[in-house]
Amino acid sequence: MKEELDSQLSAMFDGELPAAECELLARRLSRDDQLKARWGRYAVMGAAIRAEKGVRLNADLARRVSSAIAKEPNLLTGTAAQRPVRAAAAWVRPVAGLGVAAGVAALSILWMRSQSADQAALVADTAVAVAQPASRHIPETAAASTRVHQIRSQSGSSLANATLAANAGDAVSYVVPKPKSQRTMNIAGTTLASYVVAHSEFSSPVTRRNLLSTLMTGESGTGTTSAESDETSEDVKDDGQNPQ
Amino acid sequence: MSADVSDLSLVRRVQRGDKGAFDALVLKYQHKLVKLVMRYVRNPAEAEDIAQEAFIKAYRALPQFRGDSAFYTWLYRIAINTAKNAVVSRDRSPIEYNVDREFPEESNDMQGRMRDPDTPEGLVLTDEIRSTVNAAIEALPEDLRTAIVLRELEGLSYEEIAAAMDCPVGTVRSRIFRAREAIDHRLREVFEGGLGRAEELG
Repeated sequence: MKEELDSQLSAMFDGELPAAECELLARRLSRDDQLKARWGRYAVMGAAIRAEKGVRLNADLARRVSSAIAKEPNLLTGTAAQRPVRAAAAWVRPVAGLGVAAGVAALSILWMRSQSADQAALVADTAVAVAQPASRHIPETAAASTRVHQIRSQSGSSLANATLAANAGDAVSYVVPKPKSQRTMNIAGTTLASYVVAHSEFSSPVTRRNLLSTLMTGESGTGTTSAESDETSEDVKDDGQNPQ
Repeated sequence: MSADVSDLSLVRRVQRGDKGAFDALVLKYQHKLVKLVMRYVRNPAEAEDIAQEAFIKAYRALPQFRGDSAFYTWLYRIAINTAKNAVVSRDRSPIEYNVDREFPEESNDMQGRMRDPDTPEGLVLTDEIRSTVNAAIEALPEDLRTAIVLRELEGLSYEEIAAAMDCPVGTVRSRIFRAREAIDHRLREVFEGGLGRAEELG
């Protein structure tokens, strides 16, 4: 019986004892001083065989460490206190992960919306610029306003109006772009969602193809923006009257 | 199977509040750790002090050890960091041995004896242990000697030794155990007698 125990101890020292037996022997080893002394001599044998230079084989290091550890607080208290934190961390992590994923998705949608709105605004601004190439963003003065009234009454056309104003070096009108917050898009929410899903790496190829085909057929009807239809209403005339 | 299993069972016991299990880990790894620290410091006594500090740090940090790596790997990193920090702090405080300036020769001699492990009793015991172990190994039957040397010197697993010696793993385990028993029988005499002589010398 004793020999079997010592044999197990030798195997455990080499890490060759099955885990279940290790658990039982570890308990005994921590309490049995004779077994512990034998364990310590196994370590001395190994160090002597390896002829580790400069290492004292009779050092009282283990006793000194044991004395120091005896003054330390028991680890059980520390680990027990940390368990609730670890348990909390166990469910907080997945929830936090979902939150991050949802946040990224929301940001992506917002970013795509703002990109589309910017493009629509760019189209609208370009259209305005083409329609009234001579318009200027220059603060008006009372004198310029009076002169414009005179010219308008003589020509009666907006093109002549703009040309003359440009020649005079004064502004005919202000082109005030709408604030970004007021710009709206008529892209349907379902279409946008389909776009996001279709471009997601997680969607299946079949779903992606179906969604893309739906998206492409639906684009012609829903892809217009209100900015395009607003191009003529962007001008705010200084006198509030339509020259035509 | 590896040392991880047996070490982990001891580590788990320490984490559950069993300080005696930590003694077993210290006994097992103290020589390896001192040898490791001696890459950074020449003085064996200083290396032992640093190893002691590393063990205490490891004990304090053990609640954070999850077993992702082997215990010795984890302990190794702690010891390396402790040794590096010790070297840096020692270099920053160059005046170390100026306790008694009035009697420098006597002071140096006393402190040298306190810190130098190569005192006569220390040298005698270490040498005696080594020669005893070597003599015991020489006296072993060939199969036992081969098994223990392959294990301790070459660090082979039981399975590798079984393959090298062309025998079952169970036989390897038995041979290594019997070799250790034979060496331990002679080693115990040295420890008991040696310690008595050391006290006389002191």
